[in-house]
Amino acid sequence: MRHFSEVYAALRRQNRRQYALLTGCCFFSVLLITAYVCMMRSPTILNVLPEGGDSRKQVMMIFVLAVLGCGVFTTYASGLFFRQKSRETGIFLALGATRRQLWARQSRELAAISLGSCALGAALGGPLAWLLWQVFRMCVVDTEEMRLTFNPAAYSLSLAFSLFVVLMLFYMGVRSIRRTNIIDVVQESHKSEPIRAVPRWYGLAGIGLLIFGGLLGYLMPSFFVRTLHWYPPDWLPSVFYLPALVGLYYILLHTVVNGWGGKKRLYKDLISTSMMKFQGRQTVRNMLVMTLLIAGAYFGSFYTPMLGTGAMIGYDARPIDYVYRFRADQDIPQEDEVRELAEKYGVTITSYAQAPMLRLAVDGTMSVEEKGTLGTTWHPEYRETLCSELFLSASGYTALTGEPVDLQSGEIMGVMDSDGGARYLFNPDVSLVTNYVTGQRFGVTAMGELENNSLPQRFVVSDGDFAAMSEGLPAAWQEVQVCFNVENVEETYDFAKALFYEIVDRSGPEAALLDVWDPVVRDYDLLHKGYYAYDPENSAETGVEVIDYAQRDSSLFRLYWQYMPQFRALDKADFVKTTAVFLILFIFIAIVCFAAVIVIAYTRCMTIALTHRQVYDDLRRLGAPQWYLYQSVRGQVKRVFLTPAVVGTTLIYAFYMLIMYFNGDPPGITATEAAGLLASLGVIAAVSVLLYGVYRVTLRAVCRSLDVRNVKSGA
Amino acid sequence: MLTVENLHKSYQVGKTSYEALKGVSLGVDRGEFVAVMGPSGSGKTTLLNCISCYIPAGSGSIRLDGTELARLDEESLAKVRNQKLGFVFQDFLLMDGLTVRQNILLPAIIGGVISAETEKRADELCSVFGIAKIREKYPAEISGGEKQRTAVARALINRPLLILADEPTGNLDSKSSRAVIAAFEQAKAELEATIFMVTHDSFAASFCDRVIILRDGVVWQALERGDTERQAFQDQLLDAIREMGRE
Repeated sequence: MRHFSEVYAALRRQNRRQYALLTGCCFFSVLLITAYVCMMRSPTILNVLPEGGDSRKQVMMIFVLAVLGCGVFTTYASGLFFRQKSRETGIFLALGATRRQLWARQSRELAAISLGSCALGAALGGPLAWLLWQVFRMCVVDTEEMRLTFNPAAYSLSLAFSLFVVLMLFYMGVRSIRRTNIIDVVQESHKSEPIRAVPRWYGLAGIGLLIFGGLLGYLMPSFFVRTLHWYPPDWLPSVFYLPALVGLYYILLHTVVNGWGGKKRLYKDLISTSMMKFQGRQTVRNMLVMTLLIAGAYFGSFYTPMLGTGAMIGYDARPIDYVYRFRADQDIPQEDEVRELAEKYGVTITSYAQAPMLRLAVDGTMSVEEKGTLGTTWHPEYRETLCSELFLSASGYTALTGEPVDLQSGEIMGVMDSDGGARYLFNPDVSLVTNYVTGQRFGVTAMGELENNSLPQRFVVSDGDFAAMSEGLPAAWQEVQVCFNVENVEETYDFAKALFYEIVDRSGPEAALLDVWDPVVRDYDLLHKGYYAYDPENSAETGVEVIDYAQRDSSLFRLYWQYMPQFRALDKADFVKTTAVFLILFIFIAIVCFAAVIVIAYTRCMTIALTHRQVYDDLRRLGAPQWYLYQSVRGQVKRVFLTPAVVGTTLIYAFYMLIMYFNGDPPGITATEAAGLLASLGVIAAVSVLLYGVYRVTLRAVCRSLDVRNVKSGA
Repeated sequence: MLTVENLHKSYQVGKTSYEALKGVSLGVDRGEFVAVMGPSGSGKTTLLNCISCYIPAGSGSIRLDGTELARLDEESLAKVRNQKLGFVFQDFLLMDGLTVRQNILLPAIIGGVISAETEKRADELCSVFGIAKIREKYPAEISGGEKQRTAVARALINRPLLILADEPTGNLDSKSSRAVIAAFEQAKAELEATIFMVTHDSFAASFCDRVIILRDGVVWQALERGDTERQAFQDQLLDAIREMGRE
């Protein structure tokens, strides 16, 4: 051995586990982030997730969490690496090596580690995302729109994260060599990181702050909008969650430093608590990241059971098997053709009804936004023709539903679904109805609500008023509502699909509209803004998707076509297909986040073995029996896994309940939401079993590394 | 060869400034074996760290072979550490991933001057200090005394002007301590090494030509061994320490 490079090579061989750990952590972080980014920016996903919608925001929010988690994790791994390496750096400096000399060698190593791991992670991230997606397509659901395509521009985010990893590693490397005090460097590996005394009230205060911050963060945006009539900037609501973050930190700090066992367990947990305490900052930081990632992962995981349960209950709650409507100027199958088609498919129609409907303008109050020095504010403004709604006559409603309605002239009732979900889109409390074509106006008195899950968001007026209101209204403003029931509805999927295709095939281009398209709002916008965002011809300019009859099986079409029929058999059977991209995307996100959690927890636990070998040797010399050593190892590993899992799970479940509670008007949890929450508990149970399995494997690996045997009894 | 004049060094502990050295002056001649003793907190390790340039001195002067160390830039200081100083630490500070022979060669490798002659010298040092048989072993495979003798050999590989030893027997049993002190004596006798050793061990110090006793950051007393027998010199040292305790 004659050259410095050979010395470094020999030391690398000696410390290969540390090198492997750092390389693995960098590789894994970049791999996960790249896979996530590829998926998040994939045209396949972006085509389905509405622009500016909640789903996109959730995906982005969890992405930020994942980046934060992987960033902190790689920083931790590199800190650990340089901490271990500091001894040899110190010896080199003490023996007369110059910093420049050391940096020349170290920078080459860091370049190889960082560039190699990042390049490999970035290169394999895309294929990993693709592979997972294909597994979903093979095992869960496969539709035309699930053909995964990647946007090469997505790699810019992966590149940015890789750049962070490279720069962070080089920064840490420079910092480790730049220490001026060689003595400190030499003694670095013997130094612990004590955290200041943590009062016991931190635990309870943490829980209090967590609840307070959660409520504050969730409710403040509504307060701003509803009470102050002000739309806060996007970043502001996050500020109100800060107390929750501080509370979470307090809880973890208390858990690591004091523990929750009280004085009884003080001596039993003395070793494990002390070991964690003296690596407190690192431990708490890791746990915080894991907690947030677990919360993010569950947030993604809950999407499927919540959506699935809600949808299935919703389909079952419909009192009518087949419901569809169409514009009166369209040539859509009616009773004779429907019966003929049913016969062809061996379906028995047990009841059939259809009734005319009118599209009329209603009055109401809307929020008018204004941009000012304080940002966007709004004020309520009453409009006599706010938007259009669909109107049934009392006899028509009775014919369709079998429920008698007694209304006098001038009286009106709105139809609402049983859990009030339609209330956000539909205000049954109107006082003026206008025939938008003739301009004739009708003063009305709201007489309350009717409840029907198949025909929500419609108004019912007396037969006389209906006739008067329809006068002069052209066919384009009139519709036909069809409702029928069949025998053995669950077995009528082929018929349902054939009828649906028939309806689509016979619909004209004038009916190729999104569900939000409204002719009254359109007129207002054309007059005041000069364009209407939901007109298909403006799609290129506004980026709003258009309805394409050729894509009748796509999510976009099934979820957003204005005249999409509600066929229980079709909706139930095609639910997974219709929402496949959403479901799979969120399952994918959950997998990525849980994978990150598992790798962080495993790495953190393995460092117990790497850094505390001497302590365990000393304990053996002091006569500690195997069961004591085992308990001490288990105490630490358990805390690394259990604390973030319990806190993260409780946190996100409580937050989800909060969302569900305040989601409705009036606040409360509906039966659908309760069922979704119950299904989410099932997900928690399954994931907990998985995490427990990883915990057991990790515990075994740490024990094996420290030569500690699993001896349970201390008696 | 080494001259320390009016050396001051303070540490900041929280808001309190703690003065570890309060004007220490001393000199070490070529070929001399000097020990620094003193109770905990007397400033002996601080003094050694300042001479080693591991920590910057507060004020005063440290001259090595006529060169004022405080005036040297970082690169030059590294060169001084590598070429003119040799180090022996209490906990050896050997590289676990290198063999005994490779550890001994390390300062030469760092200095970039490695030749067949250097390797021959490393082998000679192994023979001198009785570690030739273990030269291909790793530190984890040898005893504490062997580790420290390896460290002494490493300190001598670049033929330094001065060996600085910080509690070299602190982690060793009496037999190993004896072997290490013997190694120093051998280095002095056969290799004309100059040794400056910090120790709290009167037995180890009793082998030195001169012992400087520090107390509260100043030189309290300096004892010359001269022709005195080792045992008698150790008794003198112990008496001096007892006297210091009485004051």
